[in-house]
Amino acid sequence: MSHDHAESHAGTYFAVFLALCVFTGLSVLADTMHLGNKNVLRVIVMAIAVAKAMCVLLFFMHLKFERAWKYLLLAPTLILASAIPFALMPDVGMSYYTPTAPQHLEYERMQASAEHHSEGAEHHAEGEHAPAAAEH
Amino acid sequence: MTHAHAAPALRMGIPITTAKLGMWLFLGTEIMFFTAFIGTYIVMRIGSPGWPTDVHITHINIALGGINTFVLIFSSYLVVYSHDALLQGKAQTAKLAMLITLICGVLFLGIKSVEYYGKFQHDILPGHIPENDRQAMNKLVNDLQYRLDGQLASMFPDVKTREDRLSELDSKLTDLQAKSPESAEFKSAAGLKKFADEFFFLRDHVRDEVSLAVSRPDMDKLRSESDASKIPPIALGTFPEHHGGEGEHHAEVDKSTVVGYLQAMQADPEISHFVSNYEVARIRPILYGNLFASNYFLMTGFHAIHVIVGLILFIMALMRNPLTIADAVFVENIGLYWHFVDLVWIFLFPLIYII
Repeated sequence: MSHDHAESHAGTYFAVFLALCVFTGLSVLADTMHLGNKNVLRVIVMAIAVAKAMCVLLFFMHLKFERAWKYLLLAPTLILASAIPFALMPDVGMSYYTPTAPQHLEYERMQASAEHHSEGAEHHAEGEHAPAAAEH
Repeated sequence: MTHAHAAPALRMGIPITTAKLGMWLFLGTEIMFFTAFIGTYIVMRIGSPGWPTDVHITHINIALGGINTFVLIFSSYLVVYSHDALLQGKAQTAKLAMLITLICGVLFLGIKSVEYYGKFQHDILPGHIPENDRQAMNKLVNDLQYRLDGQLASMFPDVKTREDRLSELDSKLTDLQAKSPESAEFKSAAGLKKFADEFFFLRDHVRDEVSLAVSRPDMDKLRSESDASKIPPIALGTFPEHHGGEGEHHAEVDKSTVVGYLQAMQADPEISHFVSNYEVARIRPILYGNLFASNYFLMTGFHAIHVIVGLILFIMALMRNPLTIADAVFVENIGLYWHFVDLVWIFLFPLIYII
């Protein structure tokens, strides 16, 4: 009985470790690629994070090999954990009313002045275009 | 039927040890704990258009975050490897792996503290960050006033108010000018006087929102001006591009703006020692900067506390001598805890450093 050691999973663990490293590299790579739409990057890196979390949960934390109690324990936890984000979402996240927080107003002011600037720059460029063309 | 064999251990209907069940229940509460922070952070991000994402402004370093991610993943692998080795009866290998895990945890905290140091240096702290130009100017005035009061208090410790100290300074200057105008004492008093003058000039212009290009006598004339459009407004100015190296030296200083005024003070040899260590970036407005800093420190701070607890657990395991297969449950439990700490970082890394 004393030498009846459990079967070693060291190989599996190392493979999972490598997978986690590759996933991390992929998220950094996605960040450095400067994708046009920021939302695409957000979806990619969060999907990678979920995949990494699943690797850790299933293999490192042995959930793949555990019996049904894992659902009994984790399902209520996850449901309760999502309560706060869901409760805050309509008000803080989506603002069902017109937001008047100072930061919102400042952001609108910045957007307006940036638009004004770019319009001004366009006008400027157009104005400068004619003499530049004449010179050539 | 005999009782030669020990009765089977009391089971709770779940085929795992009570210790492991306890750990999993604890991790259940931990999941709710961190989801509350991470979830509210995501909700706040969604509801805050203009959230700071420029890494040069928030001083977030993706390389450091990436290295830390790797360090935690590696340590997570080592701790599961340690448990596996212990089950194989290789206690020494198990201990070695756990020791390296411990070192990885310390390394993680070291890199984290480099990041925190940068945050403190640039004053990216909750409640310290100006979010618009007006707040930035007020912050500079407050900070300079604090420095001026400190200098005055150290020169005249027995005098109580700022006004009295300033009049003491004036009389001291007239005294010294007559007696020893070349002495170091006179020079330091004259420097402080100049700093005070520059400060009051800045403070009054910021308070009245009048451009710093307007001289004091002109400003007095403007007070009787009823047409507000004729008063040139004060401007914060543009910040020097850092990380540029060359650009920093060639940047022109516009003394009519607040930033330029501060830079001119820093360049003035008579008063530079009062303000030379004041980073211009401290008054850079960051929209939602305070909310960002609160979330950043709340999430990474609680995560760092968990890392410290994990390190204590590893030290406890390493002190068990000899470590035997009987300790496998303990090692598995601290492993579960450490994987959870890793799990939290797996989500924090993209959320803070990339998105």
